[in-house]
Amino acid sequence: MVVPAVDPSDEALAERAAAGDNSAFEAIVKRYQTRVFRLACRLTSHTDAPDVLQDTFLQVYRHLTSFRGESQFGTWLYRIATNAALMHRRASARRPAESLEAYLPRFDADGQHTATPAELLIVSQADDLIDRQILADKARDAIARLPDLYRDAFVLRDLEDMPTAHVAQVLGVEPATVRQRVHRARLLLRGYLSDLLGVKP
Amino acid sequence: MTGVVCASGVALLMDFIEGVLPADVSAALEAHVAGCARCAAFVASYQATPRLVRDATAVDLPADIEASLTAFLRERTNSFG
Repeated sequence: MVVPAVDPSDEALAERAAAGDNSAFEAIVKRYQTRVFRLACRLTSHTDAPDVLQDTFLQVYRHLTSFRGESQFGTWLYRIATNAALMHRRASARRPAESLEAYLPRFDADGQHTATPAELLIVSQADDLIDRQILADKARDAIARLPDLYRDAFVLRDLEDMPTAHVAQVLGVEPATVRQRVHRARLLLRGYLSDLLGVKP
Repeated sequence: MTGVVCASGVALLMDFIEGVLPADVSAALEAHVAGCARCAAFVASYQATPRLVRDATAVDLPADIEASLTAFLRERTNSFG
């Protein structure tokens, strides 16, 4: 009988790595390195991301024996990576605050959208309207311009697909606060992308 | 609850998506969006925004940075020997 090869679970790898099996640790690194790098780019910058990547896996290695399986291994590792990114950002220069009010949606005195449906929809068509590389550059720029509180919640909840309850734990705030920050981030990014496409939000 | 307008509806969107609104508020929001072309368009773009940004920032790990990570871990741990 041919037994299909099945990749070991994260938790199985973590257990072996904690017991000193270095090949298991290497497998964990290979499995997560791209995701951690991506997260680091989104939370810091492409310049800082390599350091965050190294910090993350060094800490994972050092703390493997303290992983008890009370959360999923991926969640545990993401928490380490997020904290490494936030620590790194704290150590780097502060950005000047920027007013982003211009990117919020506008309403008339009756609370109705002032823009037309076609204008309001335009971000949905960005894929077809902007060159892929330009969109990548602008999206990166847009995240970097968000206030940090909004950026962190948005990156974890919306870009990394972490459940809101996990994001709340990682950031040390209530789930309602996460929702409010993600909402604010979406409004600003949506407005920023609309503006890029020549439409006022 | 009655009288959802575009502005108050927009403020409820994330709570609606996450299913934490009271049923009557949810229903009032859905009824407003169903009858408002502007809000329907707004909701579509509100939902498109994270997808767009996610795709646009889904970078790959460059080979040189992967090599640096491996070298770093070889030096600092017993792995990658």
